[in-house]
Amino acid sequence: MNTLNADLLSTNRLLGAYWTETRCEYMRMLRNLAFGGPILLIPLGAYLLIAILIGADWSTKNPWVADYLFSGFSTMAVTMPALFSVGCILALEREAGLMMLKRAQPAPAGTWLVAKTLVAVAFGVMAYLPILVCGVLFGKIGMNAAELAAMSAVLIAGAIPFAAIGLCIGSLVSASAAPGYANLFYLPCIYLSGLFIPLPKSMEAQMVIWPAFHVNQLALAAGEAAKFKSIPPQMSVALLVGITVICGGLAIWRIAKKG
Amino acid sequence: MNNTQPSENRLHALDAVRGFALLLGVAFHAALSFLGGPPGTWFAADNSSNAMLGDAAFVTHIFRMSLFFFIAGYFGRLLYQKLGARSFWANRLKRIFIPLVAGLVILGPIVSFLWITGLTKVFGGTLPPMPAMPADFFPLGHLWFLYQLLLIYVAVVAIHSLVARLDPAQKLRGLVDKAVTGSIRTMAGTFTLGLPVAAALMSLPVWFYWMGIPTPDMTLVPQVPASVGFGTAFAFGWLVHRSKDALAAIAQRWISNVGVAIIATGWLLHSMHAEPMAQPGLTKTVYALVFGVALWGWVLGLTGAALRFLSNYSATRRYLADASYWIYLAHLPVVAALQIWVSHWPLHWSVKYPFILVASFAVLFASYHYLVRPTFIGQLLNGRKYPRKSPSPAVPRIPSPSNVADIGNAGAVARLTGVTKRYGKTAALSGIDIEVRAGELLALLGPNGAGKTTAIGLWLGLIEADSGDVMIMGGSPQDVTRRRRLGVMMQDVELVKELRVRELVALAASYYQDPMSVEEALAKTGTSAIANRPYGKLSGGQKRQVQFAVAICGRPRLLFLDEPTVGLDVQAREALWSNIRALLADGCSVVLTTHYLEEAEALATRVVVLAKGRVIASGSVDDMRSLVARRQISCESSLTPEIVRAWPGVADASRDRNRLLITATDAEGVVRRLLATDPDLRRLDVREAGLADAFNELTREAA
Repeated sequence: MNTLNADLLSTNRLLGAYWTETRCEYMRMLRNLAFGGPILLIPLGAYLLIAILIGADWSTKNPWVADYLFSGFSTMAVTMPALFSVGCILALEREAGLMMLKRAQPAPAGTWLVAKTLVAVAFGVMAYLPILVCGVLFGKIGMNAAELAAMSAVLIAGAIPFAAIGLCIGSLVSASAAPGYANLFYLPCIYLSGLFIPLPKSMEAQMVIWPAFHVNQLALAAGEAAKFKSIPPQMSVALLVGITVICGGLAIWRIAKKG
Repeated sequence: MNNTQPSENRLHALDAVRGFALLLGVAFHAALSFLGGPPGTWFAADNSSNAMLGDAAFVTHIFRMSLFFFIAGYFGRLLYQKLGARSFWANRLKRIFIPLVAGLVILGPIVSFLWITGLTKVFGGTLPPMPAMPADFFPLGHLWFLYQLLLIYVAVVAIHSLVARLDPAQKLRGLVDKAVTGSIRTMAGTFTLGLPVAAALMSLPVWFYWMGIPTPDMTLVPQVPASVGFGTAFAFGWLVHRSKDALAAIAQRWISNVGVAIIATGWLLHSMHAEPMAQPGLTKTVYALVFGVALWGWVLGLTGAALRFLSNYSATRRYLADASYWIYLAHLPVVAALQIWVSHWPLHWSVKYPFILVASFAVLFASYHYLVRPTFIGQLLNGRKYPRKSPSPAVPRIPSPSNVADIGNAGAVARLTGVTKRYGKTAALSGIDIEVRAGELLALLGPNGAGKTTAIGLWLGLIEADSGDVMIMGGSPQDVTRRRRLGVMMQDVELVKELRVRELVALAASYYQDPMSVEEALAKTGTSAIANRPYGKLSGGQKRQVQFAVAICGRPRLLFLDEPTVGLDVQAREALWSNIRALLADGCSVVLTTHYLEEAEALATRVVVLAKGRVIASGSVDDMRSLVARRQISCESSLTPEIVRAWPGVADASRDRNRLLITATDAEGVVRRLLATDPDLRRLDVREAGLADAFNELTREAA
């Protein structure tokens, strides 16, 4: 009995499998408001509160503060859904035996990975767009359109390393522990990377270990907000790519090994 | 035993790779006059040169010959196994040695003439003084690869015979097979296979990075870098043919390998631009190591891509693959003559290079089609001659040992042979043999921890056996294409609760090439009515039905059902049973594990009873029952099981609420004594022992 041609997916069917997997992943996230709702709304709420209500005076006096806050909260908006939704849902799926089932089924090897990453990015966009709209409506953005577009592109791509970290957490810990571990990483990550308040000099040295810092740095660099640049962009890109490769690789290895 | 070889489809893919490597050589040589290097290194130096073309040529030069030798190693062992030593050498003599000698005799003078003509033109009409030739000079030209191949055949066959003598039990070779597959799967091979060639390159006193592995075309004395580099490629190809899962692993890892190759090659290009010739020191070492990684990344990546995408028969690819050998043998004079001819034309390289390619291929393909394919030359080079009249030859059958093995065991769709699997110190399976025959329903019975789910996990490729052989659909379960003929319903799996039933079925169907339509799958499993409900809102029975729909939507030929009816009510269970019967009637084979013994009684063609990782009984349902010819007595009585158990003729007694249950070897005697002892005894019932009792009996004995 040989491998028949009929057992090879044609390119159309292969693309179809990726598309169906991504669509299903997206639908399930969209329908799962327990995960989706808060994660999408927290960054927007925080931005409205801090940047538009409380910080209105600072940013009128110093236009760069507006861009700084916009970039910080947007970084939060794109990274949070990526990390939490991907991490918690992967842990749940493992516990339900779904990853095991996918290995037993003839699912093309990369579908789950691609689907989860794309959906993480899509959720990042969904969390970021309201902030963008509010920023523009309230006149709290000092950048021109091209700079804003460049910053948006960087931010959206910034979801990918966090999706990888989420995959890593989700592939290692149980479903009940996943939100805990995700918070344990994420809360220090956003505060200690100086997203919302410029950190004192003494704390700057440790910022480089947080991926959110690098996403924010790249976003600011793309937005030509040179005032905040403290690390060459190549360095940030290299670190983020490294984190993505290591965490993603670890997750792939775990899933392939244990399901 | 170790000839578990892939299908002919696979061989089509490898043929395509070999053809690609050879045809790429033509493009490579055609680029050599456009590199703008020092004059006198090639037939012609074109007046329009281009660095990018040089880079492209360098990239192909990294891997093309290693790729060729890798495939040659694979086919080398295939041929050696098929023909035996004598016929193998006779065959190689015809296909390799005669073309080598004929090529040297016929092409040698032409190539020399072109070389002198070309150099005269390069140096503006006067030949510079020729450098003194070393004592061992022998102009092999581009036919060096045939000579090198013969040397490697001799070495590898010698090693093969030695190993066969030293390792009669195939223990060492079994380990090597595992290491080969493992090294591909973990990608360790990509990073370590290049180490020998890297070491050989590091030790070269003069090494222009661009040359990669220096071509051994000037002498009959074996050269170290080429022998080591191409020898490794050939040997690994040979071992890949030995190792039954290796090709599947190569196909799986193709993207990763190509990715590694691209990154490594990018680095090589970058460093080469900074410093074209190796200086002793760290850079040279690193360059040699990265070169090895790039080489194997390309070799494994391209082979894997071909296995993935070119495994089917295509008349065009077959033709190209057949033509490639002749074309590579004959191309050099044609390409060189064209290069010399166009070198002074006042045209851009982007016009001249394509012109040389098109013109050479036109000449070479025409010569193949009319002079080689229908004649004795084609017979000599490719082993077959095509009559000129039939443009589309029939799909050639390449018999491989596995086909023969499969025909010999027709009927088995899945098999575990001597399989042992341990988790830590506990053996989940100890040396079991189970076979699933085509069209049957095999019930795996056994208490918890008997190894049923482990057996299914092995067949599905979820876990790997510590020893023994796992076969599914004629090969390894690690091959995803083979799993496309399976359907699976696993124990304790919850599907995504937010997704609707229709979406879940569509998702599972998307993994197959020719699945049922979603509507068909829903209708067949009686789930049409709940098609638009989210999975999380379904009852337990409905969930199992949906999982069943997910399992069968790909039209499987073999279906695994791990405890399919746990938690179902009687109606739902009957419905599932009739679905399973319908699948059996369609010729699908089924493996079913269950705790519900009446399920096995209702459905099974054969039963295998497992306990503590061993097969303790197998046969038809009736066989099982007759294994323990006992009867079941039940009644309402005030007698306790403890008292009854002591009676002669009683195998076992227990109490289920107010009923006393007795398994008896002598039912009549026990009934007489029951009635005598307990006058208030009511609702007496005696029946043949069901499978449940037989099964309890068997597993208790095993324990």
